[in-house]
Amino acid sequence: MTNKNNVQVLENEIHDLESRLRDAKSRLALTSTPKEGLKPSPIPQNPTLLDPTHALLLLSDTALPLGSFAYSSGLESYIAHNKPLPRGVTPTASFHRFLTLSIASMASTSIPYVLAAYRTPEALDSLDNDLDASTPCVVAQRASIAQGRALIGVWERAFRATYAADPLSAGSAAAAGSVERFSDAIKSGLDGVDQLGPKGHFAPLWGVVCVAMGVDVRQTAYVFMLNHAKAVLSAAVRASVMGPYQAQRVLASKELQEMIAERIDREWETAVEDAGQVVPPLDLWVGRHELLYSRIFNS
Amino acid sequence: MLVSTQAISPPNYHHHNHTNMPIKSPFETCVAKPGQGNVVLSLLPPSNPTLTTLTYKYPLKLLTRAPGYVPQSSALSCPTSRPVHLYLLTYGGGLLPGDHIAVTITLDPQTRLVVTTPQGSTKIYKTEPNASVKGHRGPSPAHALSDKSRQNIDVRIGREAALCYLPDPSVPFKDSRYEQTQIFTIDGTVQKDTHRSSLCVLDWVTQGRASRGENWDFHLWRGKNEIWSADETGAKKLLLLRDSLILDSELDEGCLENADETFHRTNLIRERTRPHGVVGTLILYGPIFEHLASFIMDRYTSQPRIGARNWSSSAPAVEETTSHYDAKVTFTASRVRAGFVLLKFGAPDFETAKNWLSDMFREEGTVMNEFGEEALFCL
Repeated sequence: MTNKNNVQVLENEIHDLESRLRDAKSRLALTSTPKEGLKPSPIPQNPTLLDPTHALLLLSDTALPLGSFAYSSGLESYIAHNKPLPRGVTPTASFHRFLTLSIASMASTSIPYVLAAYRTPEALDSLDNDLDASTPCVVAQRASIAQGRALIGVWERAFRATYAADPLSAGSAAAAGSVERFSDAIKSGLDGVDQLGPKGHFAPLWGVVCVAMGVDVRQTAYVFMLNHAKAVLSAAVRASVMGPYQAQRVLASKELQEMIAERIDREWETAVEDAGQVVPPLDLWVGRHELLYSRIFNS
Repeated sequence: MLVSTQAISPPNYHHHNHTNMPIKSPFETCVAKPGQGNVVLSLLPPSNPTLTTLTYKYPLKLLTRAPGYVPQSSALSCPTSRPVHLYLLTYGGGLLPGDHIAVTITLDPQTRLVVTTPQGSTKIYKTEPNASVKGHRGPSPAHALSDKSRQNIDVRIGREAALCYLPDPSVPFKDSRYEQTQIFTIDGTVQKDTHRSSLCVLDWVTQGRASRGENWDFHLWRGKNEIWSADETGAKKLLLLRDSLILDSELDEGCLENADETFHRTNLIRERTRPHGVVGTLILYGPIFEHLASFIMDRYTSQPRIGARNWSSSAPAVEETTSHYDAKVTFTASRVRAGFVLLKFGAPDFETAKNWLSDMFREEGTVMNEFGEEALFCL
């Protein structure tokens, strides 16, 4: 915790110094060439070939073809199970409860796997097995595997050409190799009668792909959670719980940012063996999605 | 014992005939730590289930009984052996802060063990602050978190052996902190389905003493059930299933000193378990429980569709055709990997959950037929 705070303090200091330097430079430019008026500041020099922000923007793009928007993560079932709402509870209030529960649950069950995979990409096989063993119903399992395999697809068809051809670091190269081997294992279909072969769960694959693309560990966890929040909010819009502007307002809110940061902090040092469900009814809602008479989502 | 929070009537054990007393091994070590227990169930020739090891130390107590029940019919092709009962008890009917129960059980091939907790519930106590931290420095007693109590159960189940573990629910008292880990290891070298180990494990936790108005008011309850497959030497381990529940008020010592924070946080577990007063999981595996597993899957999939409308009349919803308790209990069953069936449920209160489970086991019949009526002692 203290270490993390120190890093934060240093980062803030660097940020502050950089902005002061830019400010001083621009003032110098103005004083040295008063006659020419406002000139554009010089192009910032980026020492690395591939800017990590670029990868981050790709991975947080809603156009990333992972199919995440086919899943409501239990929202659709939650709404059906809480119908009609008690007097005095608005659909928006009920949704906020779901969002809070869903974020806490996603963090406690998945963030340890995202972080473990980021820190030890070579353990992808066993992380995938352990997460599969920890997924309590087929609905959640299908959702996680579909998105994980889609991420492998995007990596192989799109990102690999850039990020594996010219790896950012030895760590990134190793992570890329880990995804390749894992993908081969899935394709060779070594799934016995017990179905205990590699599955392709989303959380550990996300961690490893982020290493391969040079994304910072904190941002890896943050974007994972933010993407989850986006998917739930997108589902809320399509389920007519709220309008698109209201959904964007929730996404932009300080409360959501703080909630995500707090849940990540809480799981920062959680071992995968200690990951678990903190919202037991969520397993029931997600599992019982199969029982809905009509469905617009896959989970 | 410093327990005075609830009157506990001593269970009736005198009627248990201890016909199957364990054979004391001359090599038995007697250095068990408090709360530790060790049980080995073997099949002695020709077909005599015998506890070759049975040791335990305060505050744990293990009692056994061979009721002489002979399974009427069995899903197994091998000669069925008589089930042996193990009663898992603790003095005071529960765990005090700092208690650490650790039980190791081995089921040799083709044996059958029934484990129950004949105390009505497993109470998770919280020591009164003024009694526990007298003379301690630091934060004043009212602000101290209770010591955790812990329970670890480690069961190794051999080929064609079966464990039926249907205990009472865990009842965590206000402000208590508890962690349990239950690890079941099955023989992973078995190829034929009918030779596999079998297990039926129930794990459930309530909101506390509802009669005293407790409603998820404890600080921490963590429960983890893991099933591993391993070869005879214990090597080549693979995690088959992990069921992990964390009910954490997310309090630390600092929070407790800030009254506002405490107020804000104390409803966290209640908020996360709403609308249930009891939540639980049933894990089924292996040939003996296959029929029960299929029965539960059918029961789940045949529930009425949620939000379905009866178009033939003006009635707003489909008529309830499910049993009385199915309407009150929210459950989901899933055939997850490796042949496991996982049943998860939430119910408004202990009695409803108990009756629902009891009805289901009795209607289906496997547990009664294979292990006898007493396996359902807690239900």
